[in-house]
Amino acid sequence: MIEVSHLSKSYGSRPAVQDLSFTVPDGQIYGLLGPNGAGKSTIMNILTGYLAPTQGEVKVAGFRLPEQAQQAKACVGYLPEQPPLYPEMTVQEYLDFVAELKGVKRAQRKQQVLAAARRTGLEEVLPRVIRSLSKGYRQRVGIAQALLGSPQLIILDEPTVGLDPAQVIEIRNLIRELGKAHTVILSSHILSEVQAVCQQVLILSKGHLVAVGSPEELGETLNPGSRLRATAQGEPDTVLAAVRNVPGICRVKLESTADGQVTFTAESEDAADRRAAVSRALTEAGCTVLALAAENRSLEEVFLALTEKTPEQNTPAEGEEN
Amino acid sequence: MAAIFKRELRSCFHGMIGAVLTAFMLAATAIYFVALNLGYGLPDFGYYTLNRTIFVLLLYIPVLTMRSFAEERHSRTDQLLLTSPVSVGGIVLGKYFALCVIFALPCLVDAGMILVLKVLGATGTSTLANFSALLCYYLMGCAAIAIGVFLSGLTENQIIAAVSGVAVLLLAYMMPSLRTMFTTGSAVALALFTAIAAVLSVVAGLRSKSFTLGCLSFAGCCVALTALFLLKSSWLTEAFSAVLSALCLFTPFEEFVNSSFSIPTLVYYLTVAAVFLFFTAQGLEKRRWD
Repeated sequence: MIEVSHLSKSYGSRPAVQDLSFTVPDGQIYGLLGPNGAGKSTIMNILTGYLAPTQGEVKVAGFRLPEQAQQAKACVGYLPEQPPLYPEMTVQEYLDFVAELKGVKRAQRKQQVLAAARRTGLEEVLPRVIRSLSKGYRQRVGIAQALLGSPQLIILDEPTVGLDPAQVIEIRNLIRELGKAHTVILSSHILSEVQAVCQQVLILSKGHLVAVGSPEELGETLNPGSRLRATAQGEPDTVLAAVRNVPGICRVKLESTADGQVTFTAESEDAADRRAAVSRALTEAGCTVLALAAENRSLEEVFLALTEKTPEQNTPAEGEEN
Repeated sequence: MAAIFKRELRSCFHGMIGAVLTAFMLAATAIYFVALNLGYGLPDFGYYTLNRTIFVLLLYIPVLTMRSFAEERHSRTDQLLLTSPVSVGGIVLGKYFALCVIFALPCLVDAGMILVLKVLGATGTSTLANFSALLCYYLMGCAAIAIGVFLSGLTENQIIAAVSGVAVLLLAYMMPSLRTMFTTGSAVALALFTAIAAVLSVVAGLRSKSFTLGCLSFAGCCVALTALFLLKSSWLTEAFSAVLSALCLFTPFEEFVNSSFSIPTLVYYLTVAAVFLFFTAQGLEKRRWD
């Protein structure tokens, strides 16, 4: 659906995105993840033909940008960071306008507008003026607008910003549903969102692509060792000494002690599961195991590890992704 | 394009701006019409009403056009338009035609005034002359609208768009008097044309992203201008005054006021409109490369 190779974009002399390459296959939900200013919006603006790349090649649905922009734009529905709404129009007028703008045939217009409004839960507010809508509803109007013209590719720039928790869940469900029929790209700086919705994640930092993969893969590949967290009854020293003696365990960290209960995390060098060995060692030392669970490194840690690297380390970081 | 046209038209009358502007324009023409055409029984609508209300256009046009692109850019709705499958040319034309239709409203009422004069006994010839003057007046307004739209595309602040529109139209309005200040010596003309060549070369260099091309075109222009200056300096001064007269946007209208139908005048206004709409589209296109 999308092929990007060696894409660079600078605003004046300030580089926003540097030498970016990735492909997005059909029918997947891709997440663009990165801290503020990492270049997420820039990439989305380029993919939708709003900005032209300074260098590199971009193909959307088989059409080269910016040369075949018109054909490419017809395949894309876009919700920019700030929903492009005309406050003086009613929701109905606005959606009709966008449908006509996107070249939806007159006969299908009414039905498409209704379908988009139904999917985003806008039916009751159709006759209301956009100016009087709450932020959540405006965001939904923005999403409804992106659905018109049944685009193959839907690009959403931070779709859940400013929504209340119930609305966030609703929008996430909507995105998941969209992912069944469309290719969806969404950007976010909220990890849990990407983890909850996306099948593939692209992590950006300071205009560079630092990692690509599914949320689980990223968690695994970037952390070859395994980690477990346990709570046991007994003296802290006895517990920690017992665990340290388990072969393969390289680091044990005391988390808390309370009421004779010791909570700690233990890390091993390889990915092998050491839960049984740890449990046995503790029992032998006369400590009762109260809880024991393997821990995966969360995407959050991966994210922080990748994006906190200083700019000069960016180039080796790109090599790390494989 | 049709969608943009319709939305622009509707939004103009949704807020008060369309109605207020039309009322303002009509009030101005009505005063002259009642006082001169009706009061003194003069059948010449072009001279007594249209020609005297040109100064109203200096305010009407910039206020009409200031919103067109500046507001879209300010509220980020330009992202919707520029990512839709409508070409940049289509966007510009859709907006432009909508503004032309709004300007047509007071002109239609003007046509009614001309018919009133006919009923009151104006001859067929003078009615025809009045209508042709109105046609030229309308095209002149449309040319000015294109200039306003272009200026609105340069900024995201409506006030700046309006003020610069007034300034540019005022300059064009006063150009006939300003012209006399320039003594048309060939040295002045050479300096002016060199400056124009420099601007064009910079634009060419930026568009083609080639420094060499920009330099070469400037060098070529300089050689040609120097040759002209040395061999045929009178051409330069003539061209200089031609350039200045092309900047007098409101002067060609006088041809029609004098009851003569002038095709070159109509072509001039259509050209001005086309050139500025082209510039507007180029300006929008250029923004995505910055």
